[in-house]
Amino acid sequence: MAGKGEGTVAPTSSDRVYDQVVQFLYHEAELLDSGRFTEWLGLMTEDIAYEMPIRLTREKSDKPDISSAMAHFCEDRETLRLRIERLKTDFAWAEDPPSRTRRFVSNVRIAPAGDGREVQVRSYILVYRNRGDSPSAELISGERHDVLARAGDGWKIRKRTVIVDQANLGTRNLGIFL
Amino acid sequence: MERRVEDPEMGVTETRRPTDGEAPREQRFERWLAERVRPEDGQIPAFIFSSPEVYQLELERIFARNWLFVAHDGEVPEPGDYVTRRMGEDPVIVVRGEDNEIRVFLNVCRHRGMRLCRADLGNTSHFRCPYHGFTYDNGGHLVGVPFHKEAYGERLDKEQLSLLQARCERYAGLVFATWADAGPSLEQYLGDMRWYLDLLLKRAKMEVVGPPQRWTVDTNWKLPADNFASDAYHTATTHASIAAIGLAPSIGFGKDGYQIRAGNGHGLGLGIGPGPVVPPEVLALYERHLSSEQIDVWRRMQNLHATVFPNLSILMSSATGPQGRRVIHTTVRQWQPLGPDRLEILSWLVVESEADPQWKEMCRRAYILTFGTSGIFEQDDTENWSNITANVRGAIARETLNFNYTMGIGSEEPVTGFEGPGRALGTKFQEANARAFYRRWLDLLLSAD
Repeated sequence: MAGKGEGTVAPTSSDRVYDQVVQFLYHEAELLDSGRFTEWLGLMTEDIAYEMPIRLTREKSDKPDISSAMAHFCEDRETLRLRIERLKTDFAWAEDPPSRTRRFVSNVRIAPAGDGREVQVRSYILVYRNRGDSPSAELISGERHDVLARAGDGWKIRKRTVIVDQANLGTRNLGIFL
Repeated sequence: MERRVEDPEMGVTETRRPTDGEAPREQRFERWLAERVRPEDGQIPAFIFSSPEVYQLELERIFARNWLFVAHDGEVPEPGDYVTRRMGEDPVIVVRGEDNEIRVFLNVCRHRGMRLCRADLGNTSHFRCPYHGFTYDNGGHLVGVPFHKEAYGERLDKEQLSLLQARCERYAGLVFATWADAGPSLEQYLGDMRWYLDLLLKRAKMEVVGPPQRWTVDTNWKLPADNFASDAYHTATTHASIAAIGLAPSIGFGKDGYQIRAGNGHGLGLGIGPGPVVPPEVLALYERHLSSEQIDVWRRMQNLHATVFPNLSILMSSATGPQGRRVIHTTVRQWQPLGPDRLEILSWLVVESEADPQWKEMCRRAYILTFGTSGIFEQDDTENWSNITANVRGAIARETLNFNYTMGIGSEEPVTGFEGPGRALGTKFQEANARAFYRRWLDLLLSAD
């Protein structure tokens, strides 16, 4: 999986860390896809910054096509907790009945940071979301820029920025996490 | 004229010319519409939320004739700044010219109809068509045609080929445009609604925070528009989760206050509670900009949700924030139709320019948490609206199903002593504003010119 001498993947990281990070992201996807949100929140550090800026259509010569001035998500641990508390009530209609989701995580690249106590991770994410008896999917595609921090034997997410690929989101709401 | 029409008796859609000897199908359809839509009785037929024929009439008789919101002027602060938007389904460029005037042009090259500007925003002195290179300055004049002499000789009159321009006026930072050359000024059109726009958007110098969130929902544009004008009742159930997690005191948080009809189909609900929702230093800022009557309202107002007919809504919402602090936000949103059963939502946050950065950031976070794409209020609204739209495509919905908008019929005596203009009723649990919205809607739909 990780670069065994090909030199194309994670050149400065050991295979062990890379494998841990990939397993971590798969585990995280499983928690979200199976509605285990409290466990998912447990993967975040106390100072988590979870953001999803606006994506724009701009001319190539113009400034970045991402605006953080406004965002789809701008969360800390407390607001993530509130969102999850809400999902547990009997009135979170947007996700009750729950969507069926499948998070496909790929193209994982890592670079060490923070004196080896942290690792920067970039990955692609494709979320398939399906509700009710509709045969059509709502798809959300993007790149995630994460900072993972060592926590005991494993890792926690300290920062996540989701760069979504749509300027106009094709989903009725972001009642799900990315 | 040939056009897709729906046969009210047969419940089918076909393309056909009206034949001699019978009333044109368009007229029959309009007669049927007039019979079925009975706003004053609270009877609104379900089919108006899915019918392609109704939608076509809406584009022609509402969206092509009324003042429509297109931008906040803070989105185009410098000469050459532009954003691209839609008026109905027609694409437009909102651009500030070199003379500092904001103008609105159809975003369509006059030569062959190519989309002239394909970015969401930017700054430019000229728009050049990618197809044949016709070039327009940001005042809309055709100033360049490649190989002009070789291709056209002297026979192309560039002055006749300026971009199609809509009338453009501004109020309280909101830029509106209309394709109607004659008709009321924006201020006349807004009427009594101006006082409430002042309350929210002239309470301080307001700025727009970044570009709008945009997302697409499979629903009809009227459902959110009537919701913001009239429907405080849904909050007790749709938004019960908000009370359950402690951001609102109880599920009845939407009840107390006034429902105010502001004329021309405009309407609002204004929630009243025990005390001001902003801290003293912020209220002091408002005192510099508003009348004493308006400040009296701010001392009691808990929320305000309004629709400017047809498809602009404004909301001031307050909540108890994560640290127990009261926090508010103000959002401006457009319900942009993309078909009878499809809607793009564009949603902006506005904040007080002069407020301290900490307050602005609190408002921003409160907005993102509660409204917009991921908002824990709005998530449940879009679930409702898209489900309703899916329900009204069937034959039963078309032939027999009426939605019930009867709440408050018979108790529509306005209260006395409320500070603002319009017709204020003494509760927010009322559907009078929705009845007025659909009355205005029907009158426009049935007026051929």
